[in-house]
Amino acid sequence: MRSFQSQPEQSAGEPKVKNPAEEHGRIVMRDGAPRPLFFTGKRPKRRRHSRHKVAFFHFRYYEPAFKYFTEQVLDADFVPTPTPTRATIKRGEEMSADYVCTPFKHIIGDYAAALEQGADTLVQVTGFCRLNYYGELQEMILRDAGYEHFQMLNFSYVATGKIRDYVAYCKKVVNPNLSIPHGVKNLLGAYRMVEHIDTFRDRYLANAGFETEPGSFARVRKEFLSAMNAAKSNGDIEDGFRRAMDALDALPTNKPEDPVRVGIVGEYYTAQDPTSCLNLEQKLLDMGVELSNAMSISAFNLHYNAQAARESIAEYSVHDMGPTSTFNIAAAKRFAKAGYDGLVHIKSAGCTPEIDVMPVLQRLSRDYHIPVLFLTFDTQTSDAGLDTRLEAFYDMIAMRKVRS
Amino acid sequence: MKAYLGIDTGSISTKGVVIDENKKIIARSYLWTEGDPSGAVRRVVDDLKGQIDLDEVHVMSIGTTGSARRLVGAMLEAQVVKNEITAHAVGTTFLHPDVRTILEIGGQDSKIICIENGIAVDYAMNTLCAAGTGSFLSSQAHRLGVEVEEFGEIALTSDKPANIAARCTVFAESDLVHKLQVGYEKRDVIAGLCRAVATNYLNNVGKGKKIEAPVVFQGGVSKNVGVVRAFEDALGQKVIVDPDGHLMGCFGAALLAADAPVLRSEPFMFNIDDFEFRTREVVCGHCANHCEIVCVYRDQDLIDSWGNRCDRGAIRPKPKPAVA
Repeated sequence: MRSFQSQPEQSAGEPKVKNPAEEHGRIVMRDGAPRPLFFTGKRPKRRRHSRHKVAFFHFRYYEPAFKYFTEQVLDADFVPTPTPTRATIKRGEEMSADYVCTPFKHIIGDYAAALEQGADTLVQVTGFCRLNYYGELQEMILRDAGYEHFQMLNFSYVATGKIRDYVAYCKKVVNPNLSIPHGVKNLLGAYRMVEHIDTFRDRYLANAGFETEPGSFARVRKEFLSAMNAAKSNGDIEDGFRRAMDALDALPTNKPEDPVRVGIVGEYYTAQDPTSCLNLEQKLLDMGVELSNAMSISAFNLHYNAQAARESIAEYSVHDMGPTSTFNIAAAKRFAKAGYDGLVHIKSAGCTPEIDVMPVLQRLSRDYHIPVLFLTFDTQTSDAGLDTRLEAFYDMIAMRKVRS
Repeated sequence: MKAYLGIDTGSISTKGVVIDENKKIIARSYLWTEGDPSGAVRRVVDDLKGQIDLDEVHVMSIGTTGSARRLVGAMLEAQVVKNEITAHAVGTTFLHPDVRTILEIGGQDSKIICIENGIAVDYAMNTLCAAGTGSFLSSQAHRLGVEVEEFGEIALTSDKPANIAARCTVFAESDLVHKLQVGYEKRDVIAGLCRAVATNYLNNVGKGKKIEAPVVFQGGVSKNVGVVRAFEDALGQKVIVDPDGHLMGCFGAALLAADAPVLRSEPFMFNIDDFEFRTREVVCGHCANHCEIVCVYRDQDLIDSWGNRCDRGAIRPKPKPAVA
């Protein structure tokens, strides 16, 4: 514990007596003479710096992009968060309030697991809902739980939205030697990787339901992710992506002319993350469905035209009702107009913004005659109820398609 | 004569029917599950066996549904294992081809199915909460010292039902206790309870759904005339209750079994008593997720397993030895 009492032998004007470990590098002018005040004797921060070990939370298959960001932009060591298991989720649940939304529980469980792996810097992002406060809250909870030696790289402290400010914040917290031109160049590489991961996901969801060789799509995805994980330069990223897309397109499928198509919308984290939504995408793919998931980092953060989305749904909603409401309603309308057979709306328990989206989707459902399946996820581990609902939903839309 | 068997194993009750080629029910059975689905299925199968002549009726295909459909399907080597929502929709649209809305309240869950031109176009099922289902009614009946079967009749005798909170079971229960303590008549409280079930259903499961006539009400709770009346009052229209409404799930399963592409090579002889069925839980040790895998054995042979999240934990039955 730090003591806040003043030291008795310290008098005004005299240099502070420092920890002997920091004495290194002090140059004494003359023996016994007081040291000039302007000369701190401390080595500059950039020379005292030791590499940080940075960990992210689990989020879909974005880990390679997080790794690239850490290694190539922050120039720090990346600690891969262990694959979440029931134990991780349970730990997260214990550290969270009951009524906080589910991503909070998953993320804090991941953080605890990462800290046990030796991470010392945790990254939390920012958003337009309670997510803003989560970084700070999670830091407090983790410290109370006895994890002391870590710092947060909490982007909600930077409220400007300018890349320059984010990089400066990273420089301050993680690495004082961070080169800004180098960082910005590689940050664009990380963006590219995120886009590629999303493009790959979209192609995967469209075709994986019709694979003729079981497990072939999952195998290509595994290869793709490990190529991305190994990428050291922007060239590696492009190369690995092109090869994976070629491999994916070369896989044999038996996709019918007019397959059953389902669109997924919903809360940012739960709608994408397979651990959070009990592998819902794969369950639907196994039934032989062409899937589209509207939510992704590229769709919502990199290429989102909020104004156009707002205008496209003017007849349904005039105001934004939270971070993703306009996006989701616009996406749902797009799916409905494109003749999709069904929509799945995913939210975590306690996500107020998405609850506000539901009545609008119900109206959309009546207008376009498209069934919507509303699903709420908490940290439950049994998926029997989910299976029943998904099967029934599939039977319903498949029967409807056959008859019409 | 060819026939088809459908079994619906729910949380509270287990239902079974045998239908003939003309899709007419020729044997029916309805028993309590009592927390033992495999035992309940044996009893249902025995009960059905007593109602038909095995020399004449050849059951060529079996369909299972309900929350224990997979276990029962493995036990009976069913041709069709279907979720209860589809089974109910199939069964009801067969009997009432013009139905537009199906209200279903079972022991632990409740659902609404909207139908257009004989096909389901939308459905909803209660999610996190079991408010206003059969279990709630039967536990409240127990509290009031009334048989749940008499509930409906008593409710109909009341002309000013007590106002009971419809939102949540816990609040409904405390409301009910309060109403009794301040001296409301029992029949008014019971009628209020039936009304609360209907309002709760319409506010939760039925929220945002267009309820169009004709409306069919089924599931165990449809046997309660008090709730039927409450629905009719709330919706302002006639609610159809089929005498076989509680059997709609297994009837649908039997219909689906009749349409199964591959039928049994020899008729089902209703002889599951000859085998011993056993389930065993295995905790997979391949990763830290520790999936709980359920293995089903017939006598000593593993016939099915489920519960693993990935292929590494898959436990597969040994391939059957080739017949010499």
